[in-house]
Amino acid sequence: MATTTTGTDVWIPTCCGQCYCMCGIKVRVQNGVVTEVEGNPDAPTGRGSICPKGLAGPALLYDPYRVNYPLKRTNPEKGLGVDPKWKRISWDEALDTIVTKLKECKARDPRGLYFQATTTQASEIRFGVIGFMKGFGTPNYWVSGGGLHCGNGAHFMNGIMHMAWSIIPDFAHANYTMNFGCSKGHGAGHSAVMNATQAADARARGNKNIVFDPFQSAQASKAWEWVPIRVGTDGAVALGIVNSLLNEHGIYDAEYLMYKTNAPYLVRPSDGRYKRDDATKKPLVWDVVDKCPKVFDDPSVTRVQYEDTAHEVALLGTFTVQGVQGCRPAFDLLKEHVKKYTPEYVEKISWVPAATISRLAKELGEAAEIGATVTIQTSMGPKRIPKRPVATHFFRGSQGHVNSGWTCLSIDMINHVLGAADTYGAALGLGAAVNSGYEGTGKPLQKPYPCPDGLMVAGAWVYDHLPYPLHEPRPPTRLDLHDMFPTSIYNAVTIMSPQWFDLLKQFKIPYRPDVMINFGSNSVMTMGNAQVVTENFLKKFGFVFSFQLYITEFEDAVADIILPDACYLERFTPAVSFPSTFSHPQGEDDWGWTIRQPVVKPLYERRDFNEVMLDICKRLGISGKYFKGLNDSIPIRYGGPMSPENKLVEDGSVDHSWEDICDRLVRDRFGNEHGLEHVRKKGVFTWPKKKEDVYWKWFNPSRVPVYFEYFIDGGEKITKLCESFGAHDFLDWSRFKALADWYPCPTHTEDNPEYDMYTFYWRAILHCNSLTQQNPWLDELSAEDPYVYGLQMHRDTARAKGIAEGDKVWLENPEGNRVRGWVTLTDGIEPHHIAVAAVAGHWTDYQPIAKDKGTFFNDLVVMDKAHTDPLTLNQDICCRVKIYKAD
Amino acid sequence: MTRYGMVIDLKRCYGCYACAMACKVKNHTPPGVFWARVLKGETGTFPSTVRQALPVLCFQCDEPSCLTVCPTGATIKLDNGIVIVDKEKCIGCSYCKMACPYGARYLVEEWQSYFPEGLPLTELEIMQRQLWEEKSGIGVSTKCDFCRDRLEEGRDPACVNACPANARVFGDLDDPYSEPSQLIKKSRGFVLHPELGNKPRVYYLPPR
Repeated sequence: MATTTTGTDVWIPTCCGQCYCMCGIKVRVQNGVVTEVEGNPDAPTGRGSICPKGLAGPALLYDPYRVNYPLKRTNPEKGLGVDPKWKRISWDEALDTIVTKLKECKARDPRGLYFQATTTQASEIRFGVIGFMKGFGTPNYWVSGGGLHCGNGAHFMNGIMHMAWSIIPDFAHANYTMNFGCSKGHGAGHSAVMNATQAADARARGNKNIVFDPFQSAQASKAWEWVPIRVGTDGAVALGIVNSLLNEHGIYDAEYLMYKTNAPYLVRPSDGRYKRDDATKKPLVWDVVDKCPKVFDDPSVTRVQYEDTAHEVALLGTFTVQGVQGCRPAFDLLKEHVKKYTPEYVEKISWVPAATISRLAKELGEAAEIGATVTIQTSMGPKRIPKRPVATHFFRGSQGHVNSGWTCLSIDMINHVLGAADTYGAALGLGAAVNSGYEGTGKPLQKPYPCPDGLMVAGAWVYDHLPYPLHEPRPPTRLDLHDMFPTSIYNAVTIMSPQWFDLLKQFKIPYRPDVMINFGSNSVMTMGNAQVVTENFLKKFGFVFSFQLYITEFEDAVADIILPDACYLERFTPAVSFPSTFSHPQGEDDWGWTIRQPVVKPLYERRDFNEVMLDICKRLGISGKYFKGLNDSIPIRYGGPMSPENKLVEDGSVDHSWEDICDRLVRDRFGNEHGLEHVRKKGVFTWPKKKEDVYWKWFNPSRVPVYFEYFIDGGEKITKLCESFGAHDFLDWSRFKALADWYPCPTHTEDNPEYDMYTFYWRAILHCNSLTQQNPWLDELSAEDPYVYGLQMHRDTARAKGIAEGDKVWLENPEGNRVRGWVTLTDGIEPHHIAVAAVAGHWTDYQPIAKDKGTFFNDLVVMDKAHTDPLTLNQDICCRVKIYKAD
Repeated sequence: MTRYGMVIDLKRCYGCYACAMACKVKNHTPPGVFWARVLKGETGTFPSTVRQALPVLCFQCDEPSCLTVCPTGATIKLDNGIVIVDKEKCIGCSYCKMACPYGARYLVEEWQSYFPEGLPLTELEIMQRQLWEEKSGIGVSTKCDFCRDRLEEGRDPACVNACPANARVFGDLDDPYSEPSQLIKKSRGFVLHPELGNKPRVYYLPPR
């Protein structure tokens, strides 16, 4: 600690919390005041760099508009535009009321409790939310923005294909990459700073990045080639590229497909299911050497490591197998299926020229260097593995549509056709599927393993239910009916529906929404049309209390009590870059387990969410159950169960403090000498990453599907289940099938010429979710930027409509909902589109910096079945609008 | 001897504003003051449009226009190449601000809060105001000094340190083998408006 003329001057290492990227930071505290932030060079997530949001942390800590004391609503009326008449109360009064309400709810039915949380504090959620739910006895939980702004399709698909939350190119070695509507490597996405460094290194090295995007996003502006695309059609382009590779250029990685996917599995013609061995019931492949069928895991036809030898198996052809004629390898069916996605057909859908699709497919296929290998130094010695220096990746832009699931699968299918998955130079899972753990303890340990059919099952995951095998459709127990669906991560359409209670009745849910706890989210602005969200959903709760940094539109509309939460600079969180598979270090750099620690004590009467939840548990008399909830949730999320000596005591006899819980988890992962006190010194615990953890594909016995045979089952089961409740037309379950297709968004089939513009939202680097708009420094730079607060519109389109730069306009959808904004003219957008940035356009008086800046896009979002992906329950977020000048 | 300079690689930069924010946070600059700034523009017509970010700061020119016009000798060119303002000598005449062709000078007439009027200053604002007045000041010309205080501690300027794209390389331009000197030589480094003759010490590498 240094002493200056102004007193003490220290830098404290911790972890950022301005978004979900979990970058390591160091915070300067001068004379007790936080003055500066910089990156923490010890943390692999960032390595000393940090983005503008992270740098702007002090302005959040000291914002005079932060909630500093508990507040109570004194106006019983709720809704948009109602003045809640907030009144300051004591913590005791607040907690007394809350605990009384929770006790009443528990007595009625604990499942009436609904927990809503923000992704910005994704690591805190794993404790006070997940553990508490288990302890209290409610299955109801929702991450604000899930299904709309989050990655219903992306996380689902990445889970199945890479056992990871996201995918990202191996920037260090990829030579040719394709980006479908995402800012990964360009300021957003998980582990964003680390990825930005890696992507910049890749550009400097000569990587060619092809970006499909309707506008000149940050990534498009840095691209080797920008390909303007009609919003929501990425899946069609991806299938066009798969077709072009397979049927035009004849480029695919047969070795990979034979031994690392289900491409060779024989499919019977009668119903599209695997032809299984009569005796063992295992899927069969055709051994082209022995000219006979064999079970898929027969040693003669199996290669785990690349240097293993095995007979070739058929990818093409028709075979008679154990008396069944006409059996074909799954790959043969895929190859035939994609033939309809000719470049010309795809051009009509996507507006990407046919010749461009064909050319890009050829360039990508050639850059994949199929057959090339590289020798890497593993812990088992030097090993030869495939080098595939190409990758496709994607996120919000391409997945935010009604075809979310299949679009993601189609884009990633390109990687798997080329063998470019989780090997050197290829598309890698981010956070990683494989972690051998710290050598001193063997934790956190996570490794995917094959299911009886050979397909990959997660060794760790963010949630209790894994991406594969599919969730067995069963009568729902949740308020959003979520547990009924085979594949969805989040579901908004049921709870947003005006018929929500009719649905609850129809599906025989025996309880109703009762108490809502909100942790940091502003769901009035992040779920869809604010009026619909408020009236159809939020107002159905009898009592709502909220942990919050600012008073948001959510609290104004529906909260009864606001609790002043500590921000990330004022609290402990024991596991930040985890849960496993979230914002991990990616690539060959070390593993890093980052923690948060308070750099100053919570100011005013702010209290840390997790400390308060412990307090609430104690008052409810459920501490032991809460600790059991944490013990139960740790293994799948943090790479293995707690050792007996570190396990939290479940009988309620021990009053674990929050710091004790943090310490136990950290010590359990890294040994007694590396507890919280040790990790605080650097803010991160690092250990070397094995090369076979990075490029794990050819070290792991599991396969991934290119033919989704098990979806057929999922579709049949959910259809039957819905029918058993009389819900025959719930969603189009026929989209559960074995091969990918592109289905149009409602915007593509809308034929009212009055609504002639497509609009969509994009993520600006300066903002995350709805949190950062109130930060004055970020606001100042947003105003400097020509695009963050403006509605981007092509200058020719604007001219034809008599609209000029800076004009105040309305965007109105066919339902009559409209949002206002100010036009920024540009040539960097496909002329039929209007681009809107971030979750902006706040209206609460309690955030004067954020108020009236930018445009509140989500008011245009229509939440109904037609805008819902049956596969993933993802909501479509592109809209057709007319644009006209505001008076 | 060491004469500092900087290279900004426009191929690496993706316009995230980390440099601008790092400068603001480290130097406690008040509203409207951006010693480090990111300009954005676009060229070409659809679909051949390209947007480009151009981060700028004081170029610490070897022939600084700001120095020539300073009537009091407040602007000083240090031996290490950095141009600084002696706030005790500065009379706030703004000649330097007008003379600088790159718009790198800022004069703050009055301390301003980022928040709507009528609120007491926060702890942070009180501290920032104090630090700003210690180092820069009200009513005097202010500018980027390559974070001279950080250099004395052996650390890179804040903007260089923060950049997620590692687009900024800082070092001794008098040493032909330093990283920035080598980059300028090998990667077609250029300065903005060389025709003005200011001889900037901040170079750019081409975006493509």
